[in-house]
Amino acid sequence: MTRRRSRLLAEIVTVLVAAAVAFPLYWMVLSALKPAGEIQSTDPRPWTWAPTLDSFERVLTVDGFARYFLNSVVVATAVVALSLLMSFLSAVALTRFRFRGRTVLLVMLLVAQMVPIEALTIPLFFLMRSVGDVVPAFGLNELGSLVLVHLAFSLPFAIWMLRGFVAAVPVELEEAARIDGASRLRFTWQILFPLVLPGLVATSVLAFIHAWNDFLFAKTFIISKTENQTLPQAILVFFKPEENDWGAIMASSTLMTVPVLVFFVLVQRRLVSGLAGAVKG
Amino acid sequence: MKFRTIAASLALVVAAGCAPAQSGSTGEGGDERTGTLRVWLFDEANRDPKEKVVDQAIAEFEAAHEGVTVDVQWIAVESRADKFAGAFNDPANAPDVAEFGNTDLAGYVEAGAFADLTGDVESWEHGADLLPDVLDTATVDGKVYGIPWFTGIRALYYRTDVFAELGLEPPATLAELAETARAVRQAKPDMYGISVGGKYVYAMLPFLWASGGELARPENGQWTSALTSPEAIRGVTAFADLISPGICPPEQCADFTGTQSVQAFAGGKAAMTIGGDFNRKAVEEGGLKGKYAVVPLPGTERGSIAPAFAGGNLLGVFGASERRGLGVEFAQLLASPKYQSEMYSAMGNLPTLASVQRELARNDPFLQPFVESMAAGTRFVPATPAWSQIDAQGVLPTAIQRIATGEARAREALADAERQMNEAFGG
Amino acid sequence: MATRELTPAPARTAVPPARRTRRRGRDGRSAALYLAPAAVLLLGVLAYPIYQLVVISLYDYGQAEAAGNAPLVFLGLENYADLLRRTQFWVVLAKTLGFAAVCVVGSLAVGTALAVLASRVRAVPRMLLFLAALGAWATPAVAGSYVWLFLFDADFGLVNEVLAGLGFDGMAGHSWTFGTYSAFGLVAMEVIWCSFPFVMVTMYAGIKGIPDEVVEAASLDGASWPRIATAVILPMLRPLLLIATIQSIIWDFKVFTQIYVMTNGGGVAGRNLVLNVYAYQQAFAGQEYGQGAAIGVVMTLILLSVTALYVRSQRRSVELT
Repeated sequence: MTRRRSRLLAEIVTVLVAAAVAFPLYWMVLSALKPAGEIQSTDPRPWTWAPTLDSFERVLTVDGFARYFLNSVVVATAVVALSLLMSFLSAVALTRFRFRGRTVLLVMLLVAQMVPIEALTIPLFFLMRSVGDVVPAFGLNELGSLVLVHLAFSLPFAIWMLRGFVAAVPVELEEAARIDGASRLRFTWQILFPLVLPGLVATSVLAFIHAWNDFLFAKTFIISKTENQTLPQAILVFFKPEENDWGAIMASSTLMTVPVLVFFVLVQRRLVSGLAGAVKG
Repeated sequence: MKFRTIAASLALVVAAGCAPAQSGSTGEGGDERTGTLRVWLFDEANRDPKEKVVDQAIAEFEAAHEGVTVDVQWIAVESRADKFAGAFNDPANAPDVAEFGNTDLAGYVEAGAFADLTGDVESWEHGADLLPDVLDTATVDGKVYGIPWFTGIRALYYRTDVFAELGLEPPATLAELAETARAVRQAKPDMYGISVGGKYVYAMLPFLWASGGELARPENGQWTSALTSPEAIRGVTAFADLISPGICPPEQCADFTGTQSVQAFAGGKAAMTIGGDFNRKAVEEGGLKGKYAVVPLPGTERGSIAPAFAGGNLLGVFGASERRGLGVEFAQLLASPKYQSEMYSAMGNLPTLASVQRELARNDPFLQPFVESMAAGTRFVPATPAWSQIDAQGVLPTAIQRIATGEARAREALADAERQMNEAFGG
Repeated sequence: MATRELTPAPARTAVPPARRTRRRGRDGRSAALYLAPAAVLLLGVLAYPIYQLVVISLYDYGQAEAAGNAPLVFLGLENYADLLRRTQFWVVLAKTLGFAAVCVVGSLAVGTALAVLASRVRAVPRMLLFLAALGAWATPAVAGSYVWLFLFDADFGLVNEVLAGLGFDGMAGHSWTFGTYSAFGLVAMEVIWCSFPFVMVTMYAGIKGIPDEVVEAASLDGASWPRIATAVILPMLRPLLLIATIQSIIWDFKVFTQIYVMTNGGGVAGRNLVLNVYAYQQAFAGQEYGQGAAIGVVMTLILLSVTALYVRSQRRSVELT
């Protein structure tokens, strides 16, 4: 078998695998577009000749949909921005500075990820209630509480990932900058920051998914203020499999997935090159 | 500085935190006359008609109270436990009014969240008209914690067309019920003889009670599970046996909830089901209008009626509500004769006011079997805070499912359930 | 513990020895400054709740206690003893370990295999594969669970339809979520589907990081492709594989949403419960927070020891950076 032949075979396999992996997503969008009669059909077909936006309409006409969407965007954006800033600074400290207790800190970051999030809802609930007494904007029923919690849950993994990216920037560069008279702070922001940007993007993806997909905390913390609900929480109203309204379920799923997907595709190149960069170093 | 404040407050909490956090005693609440009144109502299998009636009531209420807006949040029945727990743990952010099931009453009262409405019910113009039995299900230690909104009684729905075609009669005993169901599925293999489910506890209870069994017995103020008595085992087994390939195959039915069981019947997939008065709309909208009838669920002996579970929902006002007066007035409006009748026509809900119920039963033969079941005597789950927990942990559904799937024998499954119940009762 | 491995390779942070002492002091102060924002947040919103979790697990702490209507009773380790006495706990634990193992091995195998595949094809097929994988990765757990559930739906699902069409008549109306193993299998497939992309992207990045000369040299020596893969590439990927494995273990041991949604809260008669869902059903829905906290602590400890064991087994072969 020649090399070219085997590569062609590999490529065919790749495309087939890609199709298989993408199929559930295709099925989700397709089912969302099918008219009601076709979804409940016992003879499902992988195409439709009569696409309709009925299912989307049912979901989108939820009162206050725009508001919930905006809430989710606000929470996710705040979490991404803050976690990037914080994890970048911490990663710099953990890779570039030598101080006692560093190893312990690293182990702690790993351990922190092992605690089941669901079990923490109760202590966090009471914590947020106390926080709310001091800073109302971060208390229960407010979006701020969600930002704090998601930030705390994304940080350990973000710092853990970013360490690799920061470590990949050669130390000689820092020495050179110092000789040129740049302060450490300036080096960090003007040289290091742009260099690890791909890594930051890769990390932000995970923080974004985390904040965007959550419904556990949204459900627990946003007790009675309906105007502060987030999208997954509002959309979950449609997840009632006992009624077999698969059209609405698939439409809601599509609406939940699309923003993350767009975000992913936008940062896709940097994600891969970022990870690669971290490894090459 | 944002962080400094947070850090300061955290330091405060840490210093205080050697024991788990506890809420202070429930806030005093207040009686503001304007602002947003937050209301929690249960989401239903078919919410539209309920929502329409509620919207109408809101419009009336807002027109009568200037500067008041009513904000309704629809709560899924299945996930109500965490929702209410959140409200109990942070009274300051709890809603003002909530609909809740009478089985949860004891637990909610123990959490101390709901306001004592005894005086409000007494002074209410329709207060005296509330059916005494129904008001009992809203009462703990002589205090009323909710205004009964509607009663839920379940009876046997069956397909008149299918029964006529196969020459069957509505069953007169529970044993006949199983036979009839088997006969239907034999003749029509793509139909369930009766659609019931492993998670449909309220359909199982009449079987348990009709066989002479009991869920639990109170002894010296302490409840003890009675699930392993021979009567209880017989009753639960009779129900679990319906979830079998010859009647309602476990692959489909073992996981059915009450809603799903009724949905299957409404969708024409079953010849019988156990459904409530409140399920009428769902059944008729499924296209079965004129093709079904309802009879009381029979007991073990000919001519007897199996004790029905006296379900029902109440409207309570949170103790910490800043708008107690408005909350009570809104609950009273929803429970008024006008809206009880509206809810009856919208959902089929059985009214809790004697006059309304009499009036409706006279004009509508549909209500007859439910009223009859009620008159034959109803039973209730153990009136203890532990019941909410037993319910939330799915103790009984798990037992039914284990028997139905053959994973455990009835005695074994019920012994496990008994242990879990006693653990909950014990504290 | 993994302490030694966690120290970054010395070459990277090498500082001339003469200046080390003075820098260390200065570094300590700047490090504190850089770490402060994350540290404050993590201490407050993560470390403190974890501490509270442990405290709660020592009390009889239910809804009435939380709402302040009943006095707190200190139980010591009673919640733990109670948990360990229950047969169901051990059954669920065994199922959780088995389920997590299948998911971890599955995502690692699929992810690594596809990463190798991706490194051998041209840009267009590779991009297709990456887009598809990123799509699976991006799908929220709830949405993904429902889509898979719908594909395998007994009456309206495509899978049964196709199988019946292929002549497996018994598959029409077959319920995939009823049997214990078939339900676990279905959930595992969904979990692998949405977690292999992380492994794939990481491993692909690792493969790309291997200098071309190394592979070329090996192939010039006449090594076959499988031989290059196992003898040259795999050892160089070990550090990354270690990270991917640890992350997968952490994620898959704690799977919650997929089980909860796809098996409708733990399957018929609780046959498909995993620890996290078990804790939720028994403790949090039942408002026995003390019990739930104990399960949470036990889970963390198990996860910790599994990870530590794994890291130890890899100790000599890699350095974790």
